[in-house]
Amino acid sequence: MRSGDSLPPGDLPRQFASRTELQASLRQLFPEAVGDLSPIRGGHQAAAAALAAIDPAAYGRSRNHLDGAVTHLSPWIRHGVLTLAEVRERVFAWLECSGQPPQAAAKLINELGWRDYWQRLWRRLGDGIWRDREPLKTGHAPEAYTAALPVDLLEARTGLACMDGFVQELHTTGWLHNHARMWLASYVVHWRRVRWQAGARWFLQHLLDGDPASNNLSWQWVASSFSSKPYLFNRDNLERFSSGRYCRVCSAATDGTCPFDASYEQLQVQLLGGPPC
Amino acid sequence: MLKPVLWMHGEAMGPANPALVAHPGAPAVFVFDRELIVQAGLSLKRLGFLYECLLELPVTLRHGDVAEEVLAFARRHGADGVVTTAAVDPRFAQLRERIAAQLPVQVLEPAPFVELPEPVDLRALGAGFSSRSSCSSTALGSLSRSGCSSSG
Repeated sequence: MRSGDSLPPGDLPRQFASRTELQASLRQLFPEAVGDLSPIRGGHQAAAAALAAIDPAAYGRSRNHLDGAVTHLSPWIRHGVLTLAEVRERVFAWLECSGQPPQAAAKLINELGWRDYWQRLWRRLGDGIWRDREPLKTGHAPEAYTAALPVDLLEARTGLACMDGFVQELHTTGWLHNHARMWLASYVVHWRRVRWQAGARWFLQHLLDGDPASNNLSWQWVASSFSSKPYLFNRDNLERFSSGRYCRVCSAATDGTCPFDASYEQLQVQLLGGPPC
Repeated sequence: MLKPVLWMHGEAMGPANPALVAHPGAPAVFVFDRELIVQAGLSLKRLGFLYECLLELPVTLRHGDVAEEVLAFARRHGADGVVTTAAVDPRFAQLRERIAAQLPVQVLEPAPFVELPEPVDLRALGAGFSSRSSCSSTALGSLSRSGCSSSG
């Protein structure tokens, strides 16, 4: 931080020569905070640029793919740098300019609606979002799940290129595609049998858009305490929506040890002890 | 409230913040919540993102106990009250009550995404980290298209 700042005692600095200097200052101010700055910048200028670049039609067609035209707006929406109303108006303006039918923007508007929904639910549930909303439907007792995340996962050395890649991306950028979040959460809860709260807390430590309501209730949805069944995925699903980028370089994918290389029926038996009821 | 200070928080960090819009030029403060940061174990990425958002706003930055810091900031500026923006996090309500025990607090509502008649039925459920496409939100049926003249 610049020594030239003449600030009242306790006021934090606002003048930095560079991002490197900002990072160094933050390390002093928050010595307990781990890691580096994200390559994703905060601020309304960056948010406005991202908002101007949205393509609702392409989003609707491709959003489930890791390479899809997702908006990346979530960090700014989460912190109110952009309001849902502003994003909604931008989408409507896009419709007007593009001449596309309203249905072209339906998926994106739907997602904004989900953000609104989670916030309404948080207002109603309060800190209850940290507790199981319903019993698990996995056939396992709550005590069967460990309270801590495995070290090999946190160090991105599970040996599974997909999961290690997601962990590295989470730790480095603070952002993950929604599908990657779902796969990673499912792996943590159902393959590693860790309590969803440990995963939820971990995501909130790192995700720039970390919102307790969206995050925790989605972990509960994966775990099955906020849904009718556990969320499982298999290799086919992950490979398809990641265009094979992880499987191509994964030794487990070629040596027959990929834990996801199975049918849903096989995974149901292997992970949950039986077919779905 | 003739001479308020503005309390900024992590749910309204843009120029559309209703407190900033309603009181341009009023002293504003954001407090990095020491207890929350430590308890939640927030990474530098998250704090840096917030910090960069705040550097674009006319706001004084502090670090410590939020309620104490906001009240001290109000005293520093001889304020007769605190204006802020509504937040969903239950922690906000606790802090607001602590501040309101010593100074009037006015809470402004941000522009809504959608107006819904109360009580809202929140039982509809899909999920995923943003959503599942198989289930449409109850909110969408009432979505206003104000300001848009496109047909359909």
